[in-house]
Amino acid sequence: MGLRSKALGIVLGAGAAGVTLALAFGAGCGGRAAHSAATKLPATEAQSLRAPQAFSSIGDKKERSRALFLEASRVMLHPRCVNCHPAGDSPTQGDDFQVHDPPVARGPADQGVPGLECTSCHQDRNVELARVPGAPKWHLAPKVMAWQGRTPRSLCEQLKDPARNGGKSLAELIEHSAHDELVGWGWKPGSGRVPAPGTQAEFGALVAAWVKDGAECPREESQP
Amino acid sequence: MSAPTMQDLRIRLSRRSVLEGLGLVAAGLGLEVVLPSRAYAGPMPTSLPEVPTEGLRANVFVHVAPDGLVTIVCHRSEMGQGVRSSLPVLIADELGADMAHVKVVQGDGDEAYGDQNTDGSSSVRKIFDDLRYAGATARTMLVAVAAKRWKVSPAECEARDHAVFHKGTQRVLKFGELATDAAKLKVPEKQAVTLRPRSELKHLGKELPLLDGPDIVTGRAVFGADVKLPGMLTAVIARPPVAGGKVARYDATKALAVPGVRKVVELPAATKPFLFQPLGGLAVVADNTWAAMRGRAVLDVTWEGGDNATYDSEAYREQLLAVISKPGNVVRNVGDAEAALAKAATRVQATYNTPHLAHAPMEPPTAVARVEHGTCEVWAPTQDPQTARSEVAKAVGLDPSKVMLHVTLLGGGFGRKSKPDYVVEAALVAKAVGAPVRVQWTREDDVRHDYYHSTSAQRLEAGLDASGKVVAWHQRIAFPPIGSTFADATFAGAGEMGQGIVDLPLAIPAIRMENCEARAHTRIGWLRSVANIYHAFAVQSFIDELAHAKGADPRDTLLEVMGPSRIVTLKELGVAKVPNYGQSLDEHPVDTTRLRRVIERVTGLARWDERKQQGRALGLAAHRSFLTYVAVVVSVVKDANDHIRVDEAWIVADAGTIVNMERVRAQMEGAVVFGLSLGLYGAITMKDGATVESNFRDYRLARIAETPKKIHVDIIPSDGRPGGIGEPGVPPVAPALANAVFALTGTRVRELPLVKSVKV
Amino acid sequence: MSIRLRVNGTEHELDVDPEMPLLWALRDVLTLTGTKYGCGQALCGACVVHIDGAAVRSCVTPVRRAEGREVMTIEGLSPDGSHPLQKAWVDLAVPQCGFCQAGQIMTAAALLAKKPKPTDAEIDQSLAGNLCRCGTYTRIRSAVKKAAGLPNE
Repeated sequence: MGLRSKALGIVLGAGAAGVTLALAFGAGCGGRAAHSAATKLPATEAQSLRAPQAFSSIGDKKERSRALFLEASRVMLHPRCVNCHPAGDSPTQGDDFQVHDPPVARGPADQGVPGLECTSCHQDRNVELARVPGAPKWHLAPKVMAWQGRTPRSLCEQLKDPARNGGKSLAELIEHSAHDELVGWGWKPGSGRVPAPGTQAEFGALVAAWVKDGAECPREESQP
Repeated sequence: MSAPTMQDLRIRLSRRSVLEGLGLVAAGLGLEVVLPSRAYAGPMPTSLPEVPTEGLRANVFVHVAPDGLVTIVCHRSEMGQGVRSSLPVLIADELGADMAHVKVVQGDGDEAYGDQNTDGSSSVRKIFDDLRYAGATARTMLVAVAAKRWKVSPAECEARDHAVFHKGTQRVLKFGELATDAAKLKVPEKQAVTLRPRSELKHLGKELPLLDGPDIVTGRAVFGADVKLPGMLTAVIARPPVAGGKVARYDATKALAVPGVRKVVELPAATKPFLFQPLGGLAVVADNTWAAMRGRAVLDVTWEGGDNATYDSEAYREQLLAVISKPGNVVRNVGDAEAALAKAATRVQATYNTPHLAHAPMEPPTAVARVEHGTCEVWAPTQDPQTARSEVAKAVGLDPSKVMLHVTLLGGGFGRKSKPDYVVEAALVAKAVGAPVRVQWTREDDVRHDYYHSTSAQRLEAGLDASGKVVAWHQRIAFPPIGSTFADATFAGAGEMGQGIVDLPLAIPAIRMENCEARAHTRIGWLRSVANIYHAFAVQSFIDELAHAKGADPRDTLLEVMGPSRIVTLKELGVAKVPNYGQSLDEHPVDTTRLRRVIERVTGLARWDERKQQGRALGLAAHRSFLTYVAVVVSVVKDANDHIRVDEAWIVADAGTIVNMERVRAQMEGAVVFGLSLGLYGAITMKDGATVESNFRDYRLARIAETPKKIHVDIIPSDGRPGGIGEPGVPPVAPALANAVFALTGTRVRELPLVKSVKV
Repeated sequence: MSIRLRVNGTEHELDVDPEMPLLWALRDVLTLTGTKYGCGQALCGACVVHIDGAAVRSCVTPVRRAEGREVMTIEGLSPDGSHPLQKAWVDLAVPQCGFCQAGQIMTAAALLAKKPKPTDAEIDQSLAGNLCRCGTYTRIRSAVKKAAGLPNE
């Protein structure tokens, strides 16, 4: 019975218009010279992503990289992505991270258990009338790649660690973000589901820009 | 080709080739029919071929062929309760037939069988003797022929093992050898037929094989949607979201553009009282189910809500609570409850709520109909074939004698399939399109257009004297009644009050029970065990509360409140009569000896005295319904995530004489799971008159991992008159669960389902 | 568009909408009615069949997915009801109404094919997607174990 209750999870309030990114911290934080004020980024909508150019106003390359990652994290920590990057053995569903129904288990290869594999229901594309989501190779992210409950910073560190990112180099990470079909499902989740913000191309561009600027990770308390 | 007559249709039906064409031969469901003989001169089921054949037909239930094959009709519907594996065996035992040479066929809907309504857990308890007479009559005739041939007295003969034996000389005549001559005899009157002593009914009370098991596990069993007729179309219907609503306007252009969609047919809107009318709406008729579903999905329709369009079940819950804060009609009165409460040393008061429920049988409603040449032929998974037949006749404007109603297996019924609205739909659409039609309800249709189990509120108050003895009981009950579906009823009927209110044994000197007014705003129906569900939930929870209020063992308190072993008289109950599920109180009294026995037995099996050990707790409840006494103990634990789990359950029943012990045990196991589903999760809510839930995602049922590891069933041995089986296991489950949760967590759940207030 | 597939060992060519769920292709077109419709949303498991040995919910599986592949339904599990699961199901009288049981058995068959000796927890996990309104779950567990030759304790 425990399987059905709400999983612990983050609730996203992503990308409110006119967000102010608190990129800088008071003196004493890491001994760096502090910016005196937060950098103002152009406004955006919940369903949009800021393009990499929008971050050009941030002069400091490291800070820019951090800001780019925060923006990209609005995608990665979106329910469409997190639901299949669960911390436990069951995926979640919906925008409030309800435990998956029927109650399914991760299984040894993150593809379900015999008789109840992910692909016993999920097809290579969404099934509209039944509202079952689908994309090629539908499966769970391995447990080491769990994103549920992460801050952008811990997500960033995890993503840069080949032991916890599926053995990918940063270049491969860019490619995966920009072109993987299962990742791409996040932007075409079928009717009745809120897609991840922006487009897969925009997301890929953000990841590429973040890497180009040094693949810096945001501070622990930073939120998009 | 000229129009076939009814006679032709009947003959055609009996022909194997036609059955194969219908895909029904491999069914094992046997739409093949009983062959009549000359002997039986009573009313002939219109579904049977009126062609003279050989063999003995002693009545509409039994036929003995010259080749020895005995055909027995099961005239009640099989929906999982095991009726097909039980009643025919009873008839065969009376006859002395060998089940290896017995074919069971499913009876069509026909008054000649007597009452066929498979409802109210009545198939054994109400017709136990009648069916025995059916077998005994045939036996009497076969014995008479043998005795005549041997020139001996029938008393010297015995029928067993599919033959008649002469006791003195060991001579034997097989049933088949006697059938033709027996058919020439006059059917004896009931007085001339003697039932066997119980000891000679060799299968009675045994674990009998599951008749349809082999067909079910190979996919050959025929359920409603498995019937296929040549040229058959499939209809999926868009119904008004609000019961009593109607189509305001629609545009079928897009639906008709879906490949495979043939027609869109508007059905007449339902008006109050709803009775068994279809709800109306638009039928999308197509070559196959998928096309019909797709067509419906793009149907452009605007609905008018009607009177019920403001129904909000959450707001209604508050209304019911207001209703029970005021007096209602007194349905039971003993002593002066008001005075006794005023004098009580302690008063305990509690209010209980339960929501609407949907039946959700695994097979959603479906039916197949063909209307042609002034006749109508229907195949349906229905609990009530005669009502289905008469409703179809009325709807398509035919005399009932022109309607044939074949009963398939039911993929679950639970009371939903007693209401033939979906059968009528099939006939209406078939008539409109001039082709055979299967109407297929989707799961969403099923959840959203049910005859819902009623929502209820009850207020209970008890007075205890200084010693803790319960001296006063006051109960108010309010729920929209089933009568609202059939007339403008706003008070629960006698039948509903007879389900655990006026017949409730209470050894308390002052009792008042009041029936309060509640108007229905949706279709109300009956669901497995009906009003017993909320009555038992409130009463059995409240007695547990009384036990805790006085610091006593809940079992002892339950036994104390139910009182000592006795037959409870009408005078003690404080009522003029009890409905008693349609049977006499003389034959089926309210007997606390039996109630106490199941309580004592179940608490013994569950080791009640160790009820709070090792992180688990037990809860108890007991209830008499459908003339059967059931007690349940549920064990609950907390799992690693602090969620409540039911890990074990015990159920003990005293149902009098048992026909098929194996199916009785199965029904009790199933009742526990059914009770857990409704206790843990079951709730239908309504907003703007429409049902919010739509499928198993939001109308949750217990799954395998939520089922106790063990469900222990114990049946009290008895040769008493049989009680009901299908329903009585359900009512005690939810209160036993709630009582266990209280014992484990200290949280008293007074509103179902538990998921609203407890982590489950 | 026509779809070629094998069902229970027989080759078929179906002229149907490739998006038609396999369930309706089996039931309406091929008249293989042992596979049941229960929910249409992959929530109840009444429609489970195998494609190349893997269990799928046929109510949400477009028939095109079976193109060129081998589909097995309850009718094809054994020629005569002799599969160990079918025998165990009959021996233990698992079914009540019977409607969900084809899906239960097909799911259990997929489980036993990969895990011949499943634990209780594995049985519960694999059958978690199969609803039974009659509540036959305890017997389903027992029957799976019996078919697997495991003791029922």
